[in-house]
Amino acid sequence: MQHDIHILGLNHRTADVDVRECFSLKEQVSFEECVHNLGKSVDELLVLSTCNRVEILVVAPLGSGAGEKVIRCWAESSGRSPSELAPHVYHRRGLEAVEHLFQVAAGLDSMVLGEPQILGQLKQAYKNAVDKGQTKVVVNRLLHKAFSTAKRVRTETGIGTSAVSISYAAVELAKHIFGEMADKKAMLIGAGEMAELAATHLVGAGVKSLSVVNRTYSRAEELAARFKGRPLAFAELIDRLPEVDIVISSTGSPEPIIRARDIKDVLKKRKYKPMFFIDIAVPRDIDPDINSLDNVYLYDIDDLKDVVEENKAQRATEAEKAREIIRSESEKFGLWLKSLDLQPTIVDLLGQGEALARKELRRTLKRLGPDCPQEVQAAVEKLALSLAHKLYHQPLQFLKRRSQEEDGGERFLDLARRMFDLDGEVVPPEAHLDRKPAAKE
Amino acid sequence: MDSAELALYAALALYLVGSGGHICGIFTGKHRPNTFGGIASGAGFACHTVSLALRLFANPSLALASGEFYLSLFSWSLLLVLFVLWVRLKLSFLGLIATPLAFIILLGSLSVSSARLPLPPSLAGLFFGLHIGTLFCSLGLMAMAGAAGAAYIKLERRIKSKEKLNGVWAALPSLDKLDNANRLAVTFGFPLYTLGLLSGFIWAGLTWKRYFSWDPKEITAVFIWLLFAFLFHQRVALGWRGRKTAWLAIWVFGLSLASMLGINFFVKTHHSFA
Repeated sequence: MQHDIHILGLNHRTADVDVRECFSLKEQVSFEECVHNLGKSVDELLVLSTCNRVEILVVAPLGSGAGEKVIRCWAESSGRSPSELAPHVYHRRGLEAVEHLFQVAAGLDSMVLGEPQILGQLKQAYKNAVDKGQTKVVVNRLLHKAFSTAKRVRTETGIGTSAVSISYAAVELAKHIFGEMADKKAMLIGAGEMAELAATHLVGAGVKSLSVVNRTYSRAEELAARFKGRPLAFAELIDRLPEVDIVISSTGSPEPIIRARDIKDVLKKRKYKPMFFIDIAVPRDIDPDINSLDNVYLYDIDDLKDVVEENKAQRATEAEKAREIIRSESEKFGLWLKSLDLQPTIVDLLGQGEALARKELRRTLKRLGPDCPQEVQAAVEKLALSLAHKLYHQPLQFLKRRSQEEDGGERFLDLARRMFDLDGEVVPPEAHLDRKPAAKE
Repeated sequence: MDSAELALYAALALYLVGSGGHICGIFTGKHRPNTFGGIASGAGFACHTVSLALRLFANPSLALASGEFYLSLFSWSLLLVLFVLWVRLKLSFLGLIATPLAFIILLGSLSVSSARLPLPPSLAGLFFGLHIGTLFCSLGLMAMAGAAGAAYIKLERRIKSKEKLNGVWAALPSLDKLDNANRLAVTFGFPLYTLGLLSGFIWAGLTWKRYFSWDPKEITAVFIWLLFAFLFHQRVALGWRGRKTAWLAIWVFGLSLASMLGINFFVKTHHSFA
C-alpha cells in the first residue's frame, strides 16, 4: 500500500501570536489520542511545538484524507472549531513536505534566519515520538536525514557563523578580543531586559564570573542570583572595575556613569590588561572617548546594530546556498521513498519463491527416503533456496531500476504483482478475451 | 648529488609547498589548506632531519667543523622551536610564519655554504655554532613576535574602528592570543639574542684576537640588542602589552631582517654571505 508524507503547521508567518498560543499543542495527549483513534488513516506521527511554530508530521496511506482528519483533531483538542484553525494552517505533501522539514531543521524557516535552537527542539520532538512508538521506517529515516542535512547546511554554508542579535554580537566581539572566555570576569551595570539577555550569552560563552551593579540593590541581587553571579552596590562600581574584563552597561541614567578619566586609573591598576565595554543604553552610559585609550574597546548600541544588520544580509546570501543543498537532499530522499514502495513486492516475491522451494524440497526429501544422509539433505535445501532467490534476481533488478523513474515504476510494480499472482487474485476467465485469437493453422 | 643533499632539497620543496598551504589557508579561511600546509611542513622537517643525520653519520668530524652544517642544524632547531610554540599556543596561524621562515633560512644556509669560514681551532667551532644558532633561533622568534605584532595592530585597528570582522579577520586569533605570542617570543628571543652576541664576541676573540672590530654588522647588532633589551624590559618588568609592544617587535624584527639581508649580502664585512 502506498503512503504519503504530510506536514500540517502554522508558524510566525501564517498566524499571530494569539492564534499560535490557542493552537500550540503544548498538551499533546488529547490530540494524539484523537489521531490514534483515526486508526489506519494515520500510520506515523510526530508533533513539534515551539513558541513560534507547530509542525505536525504524518505518514498516511494515499487517499486516506489524513490532512483534514488531523486538522479536525488539532482543532478539537484545542477546544476550537476546524474552521477557525484551517485558514492559518499550511499543508505540504510528499517532496514538498520533505523539503519543508529540512528547511525547518536547518533554521531557514525560522524568524531569525539560520538560528540553531530549532534543531534541538526537533530532535526532542523526534525523541518523544519514538518513545511513544509513533514512528516507523519513513519518519525515522526522514528525521535522520533532516538532522544530517541541517548539519551539512551548517558546515557547508556560513549561515550560522555571524551574530544576528545585539547581545550575541557583543559576545562574539569579546571573543575576538579575549579568545578564551573561561578566565574572564564580566560586569553588568543595570538590570534591565537587555542586560539579562547579554548575561545569558556571556554565561553561555563560559565567563569565569559575573557581577551585577544596579541602583536598586535588591534587583541586582535578584539578577545575580539567576546567573550565580555577585551583586554589588552602585557606589562600588568604579572601585571594582579593575577586576573586570567585560562591562555591559544598560542603565536609564541621563548622564554617562563611566568617564574616560576614571578608566585611565583603572587601566593602570590592572596593568593595561584589555577591557571591553558594551554600552547598550540610550542615552549612553559610557563616555565615547574611552575608545581612544590603549587596550580599551567600546561598542555602543549603534555599532552593534550595524554589525547585526550586515550579518543578517550575509545570512540571506548563505540561505540561497543552503536551499540548494536542501533541494538536492530532498530529491535523494524522494528516490529512497520510491524504492520503499518496492519493498513489499520484494518481500512477497522472495517469500513466494521460498515457499515454492520448500514445497518442492519436502517432496524431494520424501522421495530420497529416511536414509538420505544429512549432508545431502542440507545440500539439496541450499540448492532449492538459492535457485529460488536467483530466479527472482533479474525481475527484482528490473523493478528496482524502474522504481527510480518519474512515476516510481508503478505500472511495472502492478504488472509484476499480477504476473506472479502476489495478491492472490483469481484471474477471471474472461480476462484474456481482448486478446486476438491465435491464427488457425 | 648525495642522499643528504637530496633530502635537503626535498625539505626545501616541502617547506615551499607548506608555506603555500598556510598562505592559502589564511586567505580562504578554510582548515583544509592549513592542514595540508602543516603536513607538508612536517614532512619537510622530517627530510631536513634525515639530511642532517646523514651528514653527521657520514663524516662526524667534517660535519661538526663546517659552518654549513651548523647553519642547517640551527635552521632545523629554529623550526623545532617554532613548531613547539605553535603546538603549545594552539595557533595554527604560527605555521604561516614558521614554514616560510624555515624555507628562507634553509635557502640562506645553502648560499652560506660557499662562504669561506676560518674554522676551527676546536673551541672556535663551538662558539661559532652557538653564535649562529642562537641568533637564527632568536631571529625566528623575532619573526613570530613581529608577525603577531603586525596582525595585532591590524586587527586592533579594525576592532577600534568598528569595521566588520569577516574573512581573513575572522580567521585571525584573538588580540589576547596574538599578544601572548608576542610575549613568549620576546621572553625567549631576547636571552637567545644576547647569548648569540656574546658567543660571537668570544668566537671573534678566539679567532681574530679581537672581541669587537667596529664591523657594520656588529654595530647594527648592538643597536638591535639595545632596542630588543628595551622591549624585553618594558614587557617583562613593566608589563607593557598591546599596541606599543607590537610596534616595537615589528621594529626589532624589521631591523634584524634588514641587517641580515642588507649587510650580509651587500656590504663588505667579515659577515658577508657573498
